[in-house]
Amino acid sequence: MDRRQFILSGIALGAASSLGIYGWHSSFNENNDNRDLVLSALLPALLYAALPQDTTMAEQVNRTKAAVSDFMPFLAKRQQQELQQLFNLLANQVTQLALTGHVTALAQLSIAQRWQLLIAWRDSYLAVLQQAYHGLRELLFAAYYGQPEHWQALDYTAPKYR
Amino acid sequence: MNHLDASQFLTDQHFTTDVVIIGSGAGGGIAAEQLSNAGFKVLLLEEGAYYKREHFVMEERWAYPNLYQEGAARKTKDQAIGILQGRTVGGSTTVNWTTSIRTPQPTLDYWQAEFGLDFTVAHNLKPYFQFAEQRLNIKQWALAPNANNAKLEYGCQQLGWQYTVINRNVSHCANLGYCGMGCPIDAKQSMLVSTIPAALQKGARLISRLSVRKLVWQDDKIQSLEAVPVDAHFQPTAAVKVSITAKHYIVAAGAIGSPALLLRSKVPNPSGRLGKHTYLHPTVISGALFAEDINGHSGAPQSIYSDQFVWPADSSQLGYKLEVPPIHPVLMASKLIGMAEQHAELMKSFNQLQVTIALMRDGFHEQSQGGQVSLDQEQQPVLDYPITDYLWQGMRQALLSMAELQFAAGAKQVLPLHHDAKLYNSWAEAKAGIAQLSLTALRQTVVSAHVMGGCNMSASADKGVVNQNGRHHQLSNLSVFDGSILPTSLGANPQLTIYALVWKHCQHLIAELTPVLEDSSFRE
Ligand SMILES: Cc1cc2nc3c(=O)[nH]c(=O)nc-3n(C[C@H](O)[C@H](O)[C@H](O)COP(=O)(O)OP(=O)(O)OC[C@H]3O[C@@H](n4cnc5c(N)ncnc54)[C@H](O)[C@@H]3O)c2cc1C
Repeated sequence: MDRRQFILSGIALGAASSLGIYGWHSSFNENNDNRDLVLSALLPALLYAALPQDTTMAEQVNRTKAAVSDFMPFLAKRQQQELQQLFNLLANQVTQLALTGHVTALAQLSIAQRWQLLIAWRDSYLAVLQQAYHGLRELLFAAYYGQPEHWQALDYTAPKYR
Repeated sequence: MNHLDASQFLTDQHFTTDVVIIGSGAGGGIAAEQLSNAGFKVLLLEEGAYYKREHFVMEERWAYPNLYQEGAARKTKDQAIGILQGRTVGGSTTVNWTTSIRTPQPTLDYWQAEFGLDFTVAHNLKPYFQFAEQRLNIKQWALAPNANNAKLEYGCQQLGWQYTVINRNVSHCANLGYCGMGCPIDAKQSMLVSTIPAALQKGARLISRLSVRKLVWQDDKIQSLEAVPVDAHFQPTAAVKVSITAKHYIVAAGAIGSPALLLRSKVPNPSGRLGKHTYLHPTVISGALFAEDINGHSGAPQSIYSDQFVWPADSSQLGYKLEVPPIHPVLMASKLIGMAEQHAELMKSFNQLQVTIALMRDGFHEQSQGGQVSLDQEQQPVLDYPITDYLWQGMRQALLSMAELQFAAGAKQVLPLHHDAKLYNSWAEAKAGIAQLSLTALRQTVVSAHVMGGCNMSASADKGVVNQNGRHHQLSNLSVFDGSILPTSLGANPQLTIYALVWKHCQHLIAELTPVLEDSSFRE
């Protein structure tokens, strides 16, 4: 475990033990459900106003989630593990409290609460939470705006030479 | 066929050659052609894939994962600086923006004073600049700049600032604007379409998707190298082993890859400088909204630069070069600030967005000694680049210059890419706003496409990793021929400096190697 992962687990672990919850341990294991859960909660907040507010929204969210999973294996293994750990911690009922300040599961938070959460990370005095904000933000925006289906608002199309 | 794709190897492999070159970018490409022309048996190794024009897709979602290190999401250790580097046959030259500038004289003067490197008489680079310019068709861009560059030009004109029309390494360029995704018409004279095919023609062999892990050495000599194929996501695998023995080893894996390989190999490092003093031209970004369309995705990405601030009269001040980048959806979306409505609104103005960048000339001051490459658990490189107060001060100055320029060019609003900044409506407002910004890591967006140093040249062995000819100070059959040998950043885009230096280094190497190889029983 490298330092960054250690700190991130430390934050969650600290919170868990201060609540009297023991036996918690962090995991870097790839868990697609956790990733899916976290992305389903954060994408609609981060991309609010970019995503259509109709039935095609789910389609765009799903396409973006697929783009995230297609892209992640190209990252350095170290970065993949950090992201995976973040997903796992956020999806975990106990540890997410430390990272979100809410006992409610991520998916149950209102959009406004999810924004507050992201802003709290951005403005946190903890470098590791700032990194989580910027890392997720870049990954998710890149995944969304990489898809030609999402370029309408930009009035842009990629040229085709063949 | 003289190309092998290592990911197809089913069993362990061993190769023997005169010269093995690790990395096929600016340095490796030039070396491959020069040494093949001189009659040496050359083996060129590259961890990226051998993609050619027919493979290139003009979409970032294809280009970044397939052509860039870490999917174009490489970051410094604290994640504060995003780094673009190529990882494909042709290296960064396959994806670069074609700006071609000779090494500024003050940079060479500084190297002479600080590192004892004398590029005047015997080592004069001038003929090599000319060779490279001829070989790669480097000429001043003759068409009108696209609107993104034209705003930079016009702003400079309004303010009386210096600017220059850029020389580009292109031939029959169709002015498309997709240089960063691989040229779909082979107009860009990257290593992919020039020196590498020429070397293959002369009998050189290329192995792609092969990651070199280690140089094995004893006493003062490299004995062999060990490599492994990469998987479909370009991660090194352990399934098959490849070993190579050569008479001479040329490391050209770029300014993060080369120090990483030498660190993994634990080569002698008496100067202590291996992997240190890595420079980035750390770059800050300023967006500007115009009433008219700019369409920064279309047209030659870089055709104008301004050197107004590169060499300040007070030489203790940090200099910076002004340029513009190409503007594509992913590049912009990931760098623009904010989220939700704020971000979506900015993206809607995508076509009206002009973007100016300022590249800091790092490495010329005691408070600007660059970063350090180390290895993570996977033995992969991580660059730690702490941004000093001195650099932050220069960056604030640069944000001010860019806002002033953009308003002078007619911008309606200017947005420095800093997470506390807002759209400023006038130069006065921007000036006051930028003065208030807290410039700190992650708050201020910083990027780089120019990685340099880490194996610097020096006349004496105590001040660098390689000598003035790119030969390793301690290991006799090892050269480093790429951007990692630069002792500081340049204050100019690096490719032409690397071409000329490596071309020159090759002439020296050929002269030294020829007798060694002729009388050796090494050639079966
Ligand atoms: C997007 C972008 C735009 C740019 N625009 C310009 C520009 O307009 N003008 C300019 O002058 N410069 C520009 N540059 C920078 C310029 O292209 C580089 O400075 C130059 O190509 C560096 O040459 P190099 O030989 O040091 O490394 P590279 O060209 O990066 O080549 C190194 C190669 O080594 C390979 N490698 C690394 N490790 C290993 C290993 N272990 N085993 C096998 N292979 C390995 C890499 O995959 C890579 O292909 C740009 C760069 C980028 C990324």
